[in-house]
Amino acid sequence: MKLKILPPHLRNKKRYLAFEVLSEKPINREEVISLIWGAAGGLYGSCGVSSFDLWVVKIWPCKFREQNIVKGILRCSREEVSTVRSIFPLINRYKGKRVVFHTLGISGTIKSAKSKFIKPG
Amino acid sequence: MYYDFHINNINLVEEAERLGYSGLAIIGGNQGEDNEWENWDRHPIQIYKSILIRARNPEDMRQKVKRFRGEAQVIMVQGGDQKINRAACEDPQVDILSMPYYNRKDSGINHVMARKASQNEVAVELNIKHLSRTSSHLQYKVLAHYRELVKLKRKFNFHLIITSNAQSIYDLHSPLDLIALSRCFGMNQEEAVSALSESPRNIIERNNTRNKVVVDGVKLVN
Repeated sequence: MKLKILPPHLRNKKRYLAFEVLSEKPINREEVISLIWGAAGGLYGSCGVSSFDLWVVKIWPCKFREQNIVKGILRCSREEVSTVRSIFPLINRYKGKRVVFHTLGISGTIKSAKSKFIKPG
Repeated sequence: MYYDFHINNINLVEEAERLGYSGLAIIGGNQGEDNEWENWDRHPIQIYKSILIRARNPEDMRQKVKRFRGEAQVIMVQGGDQKINRAACEDPQVDILSMPYYNRKDSGINHVMARKASQNEVAVELNIKHLSRTSSHLQYKVLAHYRELVKLKRKFNFHLIITSNAQSIYDLHSPLDLIALSRCFGMNQEEAVSALSESPRNIIERNNTRNKVVVDGVKLVN
């Protein structure tokens, strides 16, 4: 049986990081996850990553000017937002092809992260 | 207002603007031959010409700095060799000492050079590409060198600047991500912001008044 959900004051506070990935080859959700977790583990280790509460909520592949762009939302703990952000500059390669992550913005809900940074206007 | 003072490709201007940079210093090899350079002052963000000097020895470095000082707004010296690191710190004509820790087991700067760098206003570069291209099991060494430089900066108050050394769009990072990363080598928020904005601006302001300085401490007003 599923556990009863925690009362609001005991739940972990979350923030949603909107990010974009530019890559030479098309990249899917599993590859995005393995890149982020790999870099986070390399920089902060298992102990550090365990406190980040990381979760890739959703990603949207889009193509712009012959460039592979993937936009996505990453959930993390409210206290560790800037630590999670610092992982992105260290990701530079995937299977020999170049890839780069940029943060688009930080938001308190998935809905506003999507409307502000992923699909503005 | 964020600046990136180590860019190797003029075609990155659009991408840098999108990421939120307001000024770039671009290392141009054959500036006359490249058509892009003809429109360099029409770009929406400020672009400065920069030259990276790779010298064999301190004497060679001094000659090259003298030769290129008039041509470029930013003069960078490739560090790594101990004698060149020291000569660059002692030369007020040099703007940035690039990667003094390159190919070394230490940070390349000691208290003597740090004091000289502070007196001569030579900024020391923290290169993000050098960090991200290092394999993950050796990144601790680079971070330790950066930490050492930050420690010396707090004591002797020379300028540190954070640069990307970008060759393609895959090397450019958003300035706020770099500020977040700088916590890993012990910089606080204000120091990181100043390394990306005030220190580069200082270099440009100093170069604008460089021609007016008669001797050390005396400046032409009109």
